[in-house]
Amino acid sequence: MAGQAAVRIRRAIALVNSVADEAGDEEITPTEIAEAIRDCLELTEVDETSNVRRYLGEALDAVSDGMPADFVAMTLYAALGALREGASN
Amino acid sequence: MRSAEGRGRTLDEAVDAALIELQESRRNVDVKILSEAPEETIVEVTVMDQTASIPAAAPGPVNGKAEAAKNLVEGLLKHMGVRAQVSVRTGADPITLDISGRDLGALIGWRGETLRALQAVTNVMVGKHLAEGERVIVDVERYRQRREHTVREIAMRAARQVKMTGDAITLDAMQPFERRAIHLALEGDPEVTSSSIGEEPERRVVVGPRKPAEQ
Repeated sequence: MAGQAAVRIRRAIALVNSVADEAGDEEITPTEIAEAIRDCLELTEVDETSNVRRYLGEALDAVSDGMPADFVAMTLYAALGALREGASN
Repeated sequence: MRSAEGRGRTLDEAVDAALIELQESRRNVDVKILSEAPEETIVEVTVMDQTASIPAAAPGPVNGKAEAAKNLVEGLLKHMGVRAQVSVRTGADPITLDISGRDLGALIGWRGETLRALQAVTNVMVGKHLAEGERVIVDVERYRQRREHTVREIAMRAARQVKMTGDAITLDAMQPFERRAIHLALEGDPEVTSSSIGEEPERRVVVGPRKPAEQ
């Protein structure tokens, strides 16, 4: 489905932001964030635009390495940006 | 007597821009309209009572970390081709950077998404200057502050309705900082309770009556 990758990336970003902003109304684990990123990587759509898979892979590595939430978020924003650029070209 | 010139699309925006530069509140200043046109209003804002100023608002760096963050964001905006002023909000904890200028809607984005991304990048950039767990908040034209104020009002209205009807109310999907503002606004109310349901980014706050056992 077109745009499904953007939806999934936004969901992953929202989860990460929830951790970073300390919303205080949920317990998000790194496993859940990693699952959300893997959900993005499952889509073939992420291969249609260069760098999207690479950024998602870097975000997944960042979660595994225990990098700060803002770093993970920034990498996911980069993936979303690459996807948008691909869509506009 | 300190004064600053402020520009904006509306009188409020122009005054806010000058207040941010002066790091002052409205009650301590005198506003003089220099020019008023449909596309731009220019004002001169003068601090009337120096003794009422917050001591930390004196010129000079608020602290080293805040200045480092401010300089980095200024550089980032310059690279983005955005003309805007960056100032450190006085007395704010955590460190809060206010970005002000004209036509900064693009920096805020849909439901504050771009602003949130800017904050993430800023925190990664200034991370080495910060202690573990310390963060920098980025605000554009006081968007976050205005949204927090708005959602707190929504929370109060919802609480009043819940008290009248006894039925729970589910609010619109909100960002984490907005949900947090609602929980904080209602945590002291003995008659209502707030909780969140759903998954990001469609997570919503539910305001409901507090059960007798919870009171």
